[in-house]
Amino acid sequence: MYNKKLVDNLTTGQSNLLSSRRRDNFDDFEDLTQADFKRINLFDYHFPEYNPYNKDYLKEKKGQDKLLTKKMTDNLNNEEEILNYLDQFNDKEVEKGNQGLDQKYLAMAKTFYNTGLFIKTPKNVEVKLPVEIFYELDEDNPFLIDNNLIVAEENSKLTIVIDYRMQDQKLEAFHNGLTRVIVKDNAVLNIVKVQRFNNQSDHFDSNISLVSNQGELNWIPIELGGRNSVTNNENTLMDDGSRASISSVYFADGERKMDLGFKMNHQGRHSSSEIESKGVLKDRAQKVFRGDLYFQKGAGQSKGSEKEEVLLLDKTVDSDSIPALFSEEDNVEGEHAVSAGQIDQQRLFYLMSRGMTKEEAKQLMVEATFNPIFDKIPLNDLKGSVINDVKTRIHS
Amino acid sequence: MSEKTEVNDIDRSLHEEKNKEKHRYKSAKGLTPEVIKEISREKDEPEWMRDFRLKALEIYKKKDVPTWGADISDLDMENIITYVRPDADLESDWDEVPEEIKNTFDALGIPEAEKESLAGVGAQYDSEVVYHNLKEEMVEQGVIYMDMENAVKEHEDLVKEHFMKLITPNDHKFSALHGAVWSGGSFVYVPSGVDVDIPLQSYFRQNAPGSGQFEHTLIILEEGANAHFIEGCSAPKYSVNNLHAGAVELFVNKGAKLRYSTIENWSRNMYNLNTKRALVEEDGVIEWVSGSFGSKVSMLYPMSILKGPRARAEFTGVTFAAEGQYLDTGAQVIHAAPNTTSTVNARSIAKDGGHAFYRGLLKATENAHGAKASVSCESLMLDNESKSDTLPIMKLQTDDIDIGHEAKVGRISEEAIFYLMSRGISEEEAKAMIVRGFVEPIANELPLEYAVELNNLINLELEGTIG
Repeated sequence: MYNKKLVDNLTTGQSNLLSSRRRDNFDDFEDLTQADFKRINLFDYHFPEYNPYNKDYLKEKKGQDKLLTKKMTDNLNNEEEILNYLDQFNDKEVEKGNQGLDQKYLAMAKTFYNTGLFIKTPKNVEVKLPVEIFYELDEDNPFLIDNNLIVAEENSKLTIVIDYRMQDQKLEAFHNGLTRVIVKDNAVLNIVKVQRFNNQSDHFDSNISLVSNQGELNWIPIELGGRNSVTNNENTLMDDGSRASISSVYFADGERKMDLGFKMNHQGRHSSSEIESKGVLKDRAQKVFRGDLYFQKGAGQSKGSEKEEVLLLDKTVDSDSIPALFSEEDNVEGEHAVSAGQIDQQRLFYLMSRGMTKEEAKQLMVEATFNPIFDKIPLNDLKGSVINDVKTRIHS
Repeated sequence: MSEKTEVNDIDRSLHEEKNKEKHRYKSAKGLTPEVIKEISREKDEPEWMRDFRLKALEIYKKKDVPTWGADISDLDMENIITYVRPDADLESDWDEVPEEIKNTFDALGIPEAEKESLAGVGAQYDSEVVYHNLKEEMVEQGVIYMDMENAVKEHEDLVKEHFMKLITPNDHKFSALHGAVWSGGSFVYVPSGVDVDIPLQSYFRQNAPGSGQFEHTLIILEEGANAHFIEGCSAPKYSVNNLHAGAVELFVNKGAKLRYSTIENWSRNMYNLNTKRALVEEDGVIEWVSGSFGSKVSMLYPMSILKGPRARAEFTGVTFAAEGQYLDTGAQVIHAAPNTTSTVNARSIAKDGGHAFYRGLLKATENAHGAKASVSCESLMLDNESKSDTLPIMKLQTDDIDIGHEAKVGRISEEAIFYLMSRGISEEEAKAMIVRGFVEPIANELPLEYAVELNNLINLELEGTIG
């Protein structure tokens, strides 16, 4: 299925350089062996059949005309520019780096992408309204491989919301995405990613970023759905004062399995990072949280912190946490903290003494955990629907 | 602002005095069933033990060397002489111990320790115990403290029931190796309700070039018993890579309390791949006190299995990695019963290119409701040549638990130094005080004898040389 012939099909009539890149990546794809995700008991995963994706996914808005947006699957006239950006990822080797959630999945996304956007905010441009991207999966489009490249040029400002969603509860869909991000000097970029798949669909997603001098990148990944959800978010803080943050929320119920990886590679001096993850596990859900703080040599006077908070609502959940701290520099501050347990019984009883039912009190406390991060979603209707989603599922 | 704190290496001259190699029997290089049979015959062991060794050897041959953690590819397994016996028979009187061996022990302060107040000494010289003694009142109460070889013969049933039941040859390559070639070590049995109020101590030592040491420690505490066992390791330096793959099995029965203290100070060419496990029954308590200072490579993760309700585990550890050292250490706790509790407090110091790695596991099984656990790791880096990593893994399979974890890495806080200096303390002394304070939690847990040893290793050294 994932053979030369498919690559030939995908490159017919396409821009030369990007096509030849696809072919190079195909060689890697063939050489690599696929990883298993042991901690969520996901072994020998079988990639479903390739399908094109034909829906529109970018909502055009006024006030964004200075923004450069192109579909990666079009015959592009700026492919040299794109390749220049992509090549920057090859220079930044990280010793303990495992770029992407797995090399094979990554090579698959680079070779067989059927969607994806190139978005660039030019120098000194501030875009007020958030860019909205909806990757919606349905019966005709059950297969998504999005290859996104987002570039925030010097002194620019932008917020992007990417929503992976579906209405059909019976659909068996597949997503393996790759989002690469470059944040240049003094630029600020916020990326909100929401995943709300049904219980039969699988979600694989790799996010890789490079942050330059005084640049700032803020991720808000919200993982609510999927049968298997394996994601990875890896940031390299390359220069002086580079900053990155991840504010993650996950809610796993039923038989859901989540493998969430977050990583901060500090290379530049005075760089700072923050990982905050809040999650709720219910029913027979399984989750593994991996958070790596890596201070590479030269990252003097950097700071990194990592915090995981997980609420366990049932006896039958399975929660793994692997927070790692690697340091090659003495003049750094790194810390991580994990807390796991039930909802605080005293607070629960307090709320119940005020006339709430146990369910209501529980719900309120889960909301209280999530809300600080939900508040960072810039679109009100999306925020509302996410909050609703969590609400109904606490009770079910 | 960025001044560095200098902490000099531990003065090792005391520990590096090596005797001329002198022994009666050396097993042929390499491991074959014949070698194993020879070892067993030499030891005059019961048949079941010989068969056990042979079975372990088979498993050893099938297992692969672990690929995670430390790089142990320099280790030439086929050339490690696994069994070396020094030129002395078991002695019960110090005067009869050969002069050469005595000199080494004198340098380590063993006889003084005995004279002071210790209940018994089982010092392992190379692969066999050369000196052993236990105070008489303890014997009268039914306490057994003897070398493992004799225990196999004299307390065969007890040993057979427990030996390598907690750590089996199937666990990993080095436990299989241990099962095949184990030699020496201590056996402790404390009957129900007996409180051994003086620490039992053994001092291990490796001496022959290229010799592995595979001592086996088996401690059984019956219901309500109480004991403190101290294991100390020190070995002179040789050019051949040395391997230590001992095993420590601790059985803590209902309501019993065991403290197991280790000051590990192997020479800098040692591969220390020790396996330690404790099984704790209802209301039992295991306390680990662990100091890792020596060796070239260490992979050591003492495991506490809390099997009975309300069982408790405590781990206090300090790891000091200096030049050329890779010390991969940590604690593992399995909460396998309701209302069990555990506390892990791990500290590490890295300097001069040393690499300190904390690798821990905390697991709560389905029936561990009401379990409480806290893990705290702190790393101090004294320069930017060194590396310090922390990897605590948590696996929770039930909801009614309370788990907390914290880790920190950094260097000596400048604020603290300035504070102390504002109180009239010199900068050097302030830094030394902070480093000493950093390792104090473990120093406090040790009996005086060993606190002094620890002082020799760190505190006193720091005083004059820091800054």
